[in-house]
Amino acid sequence: MGIRESIFLLFLILISTYESFAKEGLAEELNEEFTEGLLLRPLPDRKVLAHFHFQSSVPPTRTYGRHHHLFPKSIYQLVNKFRVREMELSFTQGRWNYESWGGYDPISSNNAKPPGVELWADFDVPLDQVDASWKNLTHALSGLFCASINFLEHSTSYSAPQWSFHSFAGKLRYGTLPREAVCTENLTPWLKLLPCRDKAGLSALMDRPSIYRGYYHSQRLHLTSDEFDAVKSNSGIMLEQTLTVVLQPSTLEARAMVSVKTLQPSWSLSSLFGRKVHGRCSVSKSSNVYVQFEQNLVSELKEMWKESEGSESGILIHDDFWTNPIFEMSASPHRVVKEVGNLQQEDSSILYEFLVEDYNDSEPFDLGLRWKLPVAWLCQQAPLRASRFLMGSGNERGAIAISLKSSGINNTQRVGCSEKGSLLSIDIFQVVPWYVKVYYHTLKVFIDGELQSTMENIENMHVSPSEDKVSPGVMEMILRLPCGVKTAALTLEFDKGFLHIDEYPPDANQGFDIPSAVVSFTDFQASIGFEDNFLNKLPILNELQERKHVICYTEVLLVPLTTPDFSMPYNVITITCTVFALYFGSLLNALRRRVGEEERLLKSKAAKKKGPLTSLLSKLFAKLTGRPVNPPETPSASPSFIDYKLIVKVILVAGMAVKLFRSSFQLN
Amino acid sequence: MAEISEAPSTSNLDTGFDPETMRKSMPGLKRLSLALTVLFSFLLGLPFLLKSIAIYRSPLPFREIDDLSTAIESSPILFPCHFRAVFVDFDPNSYTADQLSISVQAHMAKLAAKNSPTCVTCASNFTVYVTLDSNSNCISNWNNVDWNCGALNEFRFADKRDDGLLDEYLESVFDDNRNGKVYTVVVVKTEEEEVRAVVGKYRHAWIMEEGLIPGEFKPVGADGRIVLSFNLLNADPRNWIYDWDFQEIDENLLAPIIEALKPLADVSVESQVLYHTPKSSLSFWDAKLDSYIFSTKDLPFFANSNEWHLDTSVAAGGRSKILQFVVYVPSAKECPLRLQLPNGEISTTNGFISPMWGGIVVWNPSACLTDSKIKHPLRHKISPEESRKVFEVFMGQLRQLFGLKSDGLFVGASGTSALLASERGFSEWELDVLSRQHSCFNLLQCGTTLGSLSRLVQSLPRMIIMDDIGKQGKYSLEAAKLTLSNASLGIYDASAESSRQARLLAEDAFYHPSMMSVGYFSFEHCFAVYSPFFLPVSLHVLLAVLREWKRHKQESKKYKAWKANVASFSY
Repeated sequence: MGIRESIFLLFLILISTYESFAKEGLAEELNEEFTEGLLLRPLPDRKVLAHFHFQSSVPPTRTYGRHHHLFPKSIYQLVNKFRVREMELSFTQGRWNYESWGGYDPISSNNAKPPGVELWADFDVPLDQVDASWKNLTHALSGLFCASINFLEHSTSYSAPQWSFHSFAGKLRYGTLPREAVCTENLTPWLKLLPCRDKAGLSALMDRPSIYRGYYHSQRLHLTSDEFDAVKSNSGIMLEQTLTVVLQPSTLEARAMVSVKTLQPSWSLSSLFGRKVHGRCSVSKSSNVYVQFEQNLVSELKEMWKESEGSESGILIHDDFWTNPIFEMSASPHRVVKEVGNLQQEDSSILYEFLVEDYNDSEPFDLGLRWKLPVAWLCQQAPLRASRFLMGSGNERGAIAISLKSSGINNTQRVGCSEKGSLLSIDIFQVVPWYVKVYYHTLKVFIDGELQSTMENIENMHVSPSEDKVSPGVMEMILRLPCGVKTAALTLEFDKGFLHIDEYPPDANQGFDIPSAVVSFTDFQASIGFEDNFLNKLPILNELQERKHVICYTEVLLVPLTTPDFSMPYNVITITCTVFALYFGSLLNALRRRVGEEERLLKSKAAKKKGPLTSLLSKLFAKLTGRPVNPPETPSASPSFIDYKLIVKVILVAGMAVKLFRSSFQLN
Repeated sequence: MAEISEAPSTSNLDTGFDPETMRKSMPGLKRLSLALTVLFSFLLGLPFLLKSIAIYRSPLPFREIDDLSTAIESSPILFPCHFRAVFVDFDPNSYTADQLSISVQAHMAKLAAKNSPTCVTCASNFTVYVTLDSNSNCISNWNNVDWNCGALNEFRFADKRDDGLLDEYLESVFDDNRNGKVYTVVVVKTEEEEVRAVVGKYRHAWIMEEGLIPGEFKPVGADGRIVLSFNLLNADPRNWIYDWDFQEIDENLLAPIIEALKPLADVSVESQVLYHTPKSSLSFWDAKLDSYIFSTKDLPFFANSNEWHLDTSVAAGGRSKILQFVVYVPSAKECPLRLQLPNGEISTTNGFISPMWGGIVVWNPSACLTDSKIKHPLRHKISPEESRKVFEVFMGQLRQLFGLKSDGLFVGASGTSALLASERGFSEWELDVLSRQHSCFNLLQCGTTLGSLSRLVQSLPRMIIMDDIGKQGKYSLEAAKLTLSNASLGIYDASAESSRQARLLAEDAFYHPSMMSVGYFSFEHCFAVYSPFFLPVSLHVLLAVLREWKRHKQESKKYKAWKANVASFSY
């Protein structure tokens, strides 16, 4: 025993020394990191966008080991247990307003999410285990985030997009829950993944009532891991958490100024969130706040500046540019970052950077922006505005239409669309539940109101039709549209299916949701490039700089399905049983009858007394049958009369019994 | 035929026949038999109907389960324990081996009777062998004793007072590869007055001491797994941030313990560092002790479940047990923070345990800075010596959670007795105790689980019981029986293993997902579906039978009356 132990110890020591050597061999900079950032942007419709961005990263287990100091344990375990290569989970309440909040910038492409829950994950497991991993992952996430993500477990509620959404060789699964209600119980576990939670740093701004009072909020968790890649040079796990909220500044001042229509509301952190920032989270590497002025706003400001001052570039060169005749900021920015690489436009967006670490408890950070002159501008739009609606009426069939409208003049002149005759490529991904049976052969494409032959405009299409109670219908297509297109529309007809009585949700009459379709414009990149290279180290700016396609989500559709009367099976059972019971009872009675004896009895009874009721009944019967009134002595009439009486009795008894059972069933 | 025939009016006067009360023909049986046939065919059909609407219930061995649970509850399992006492350098003339054996047995029985918690597994089931060894003259009350006479002569007690060395030496003297496990007590007569008892890390001791804290043995999950979750809590990272090198601790300190506990449970280790985690109880400044004091009264409120998001882990899915170990680094406002014991002393470990939950150690940074206005706190690392100290405390806490004494040295009734701790944290005889208690506890648990399962199943006659549950129940019973037979043979490891299996299977059966499903077909449901047919029909059938029976009786009375009448007239 002793020898074995000592050998074991020796072995351990050997391993540990080897590992320490291995560690030394690698670069020293490999360590866990956490950064936080907040981006604020005034929106044209008098609202303010606040985008919180937190990022934790951990070097790969192979070199760093499995014990962490900053990285959340639960996420690390999740990644390792289910071998997740990439995953995104978002909880959203409200709909992103693409028209007034923008549809062309990285924030809208990354953080405008469909209402409810959206989850997609890519696994590093053999193809036949992907579904099992997905199911386990949904359950784990469901527990982690207090949400009903486990409903995505059923094969009817998730799909495996082939190439359109994010293509990862068939190991990606995608599912949405449009009806999931999102609230604080989802935010709290999300905050637990941050080292400082909402106790310190920028996340201390997250006052629940203020956030949930907003017009839109979307909390997102995105993680990438290359833990399982065979290549040596991997970067470990990166967890990106963002919270995007659109708030209406509601200060007294703003209310007073409502009369001046175009004056933007002034706001500060404390008026938006009701809280101030008391310093950074002590374990974060950087903690910055940015105020972004969009390209169109900047050009508008320049215009105004030119009018008032006469010099065009003053807005940027001037020393105290944050206090100028147009607007005023309560704090001086640490730095101003300008967008570069935007060759098409002469103006570019500006970021004002503020460092939270300069502030502390005695001097909290409360950034304010006050407008002095009215400004009006428009956000940058995606080349086409996508919306989706239902056509047709009744409970039997209908059609889904996706319409794409040109959003304005300036956009069609964008990248790749400068020459005439070039084409715009649009990627559409749509998942439809199985009970909405879409006939894909009925696909029609209309361009500027005219029906086109489908094959001409569709470059690539992949359809996996729904299978009843097994899988949803998935449609992926690449559409090619001419650049000068004004409107384009796609229609697809469908039949409404029938669900089994057990499959209806408790609120079946509300209707059923068809999840949002994803429309991406693959020719367009939503990214903002910045002049300084060292800025690459700041994850929040990295997110803005990342080159990604412009993506937008369509509306969720609500399809009313025929809902049965849920007591129907019992009604059928009851009426069938009643009929059978009646038949059986009368048969038994008929078998037991003694005709001769009854006649004699009647005769003797009639001899004694003829009741007024019986004579009346017999008269009535005679009238009904059209025969003359027979005296009760006549043997032919009396048995039939008795028979009726009997049947009436039987019906009465059966009816009572049935009634009894109906009532007992209803009690059930 | 069976009807009342029209009585010929002519004979009425002659025979005194009254058509109201008499009849001449036998009453017929046709309709009565018809009604009865219908009734009986219904009754015959009833079993078929019940069979057709019956739900599947896998047969469970209810009787055997009840037998097992009552057997376990009435008499917990007993392992045979063998003790061997070796008296070295005693005069063989003054005592005989048998005498000594009897007196030792009597004394041990007294000790065993003193504390009798539910799972004392050696309670009265022990045998004592005594060997007297005096200068290579061995007297023994047991022939098979493989005590090498005079073996200890080479070992000079007087010169070497190193307990550890002696322990190793004894281990080399005894071959432990026999099947039964024997606890050896070596009593050495020395010149000194003081009696020393040292309980070694192997299965022998110089003088055996009864040194166990009686208690329930529980901190193993139902699936036989324990997750040790180590948490470093920085109460306020704005003052200072402390970090540890857990990788090293895991490899050097924890790995041997995990290895040692393997027969008992599957142990895994995980760690995390958390920030902004103040404790929820208050502490007060004590100028005399120059520190902040929290007393034992505050302990229930120390762990702050609102802010300490220690969390469960994905690895501990299912029914495994998590033990949380917390290193609490106080903030500058309450530094240094010390635990005051009820007797007014300051705790040496500065930590405490919460049974079934885990342990907490308050670790005060070496320099409790009074100046809390440092803008950007530096990240410090807890030095390896400090963390070793902390983990030694954790080791003690873990031992306590397992129901053992936390420290190596304690003062017994007969002078000083030292328990030699092995580098694995648990000595072999302690592991024996644990595995004995473990088996006993598992078996108890298995018995109660199976008992509740059988009660539940019997109380819900319309619940579907899958085959899996039946099988698991059966296997669990088998494993429990195996445990009992292993226990009676004294094979500790095998019985621990099979008891774990028995408990796991029992819990699996009880928590089978189908047991909790809504898919159970209630009796009310069945009633609502079938009654619209059967109630009216049965009413008809019963009424028909009753009427026909009554009528038959009435008519046969009439016939009898006529018969009597005829008889009276003829005579």
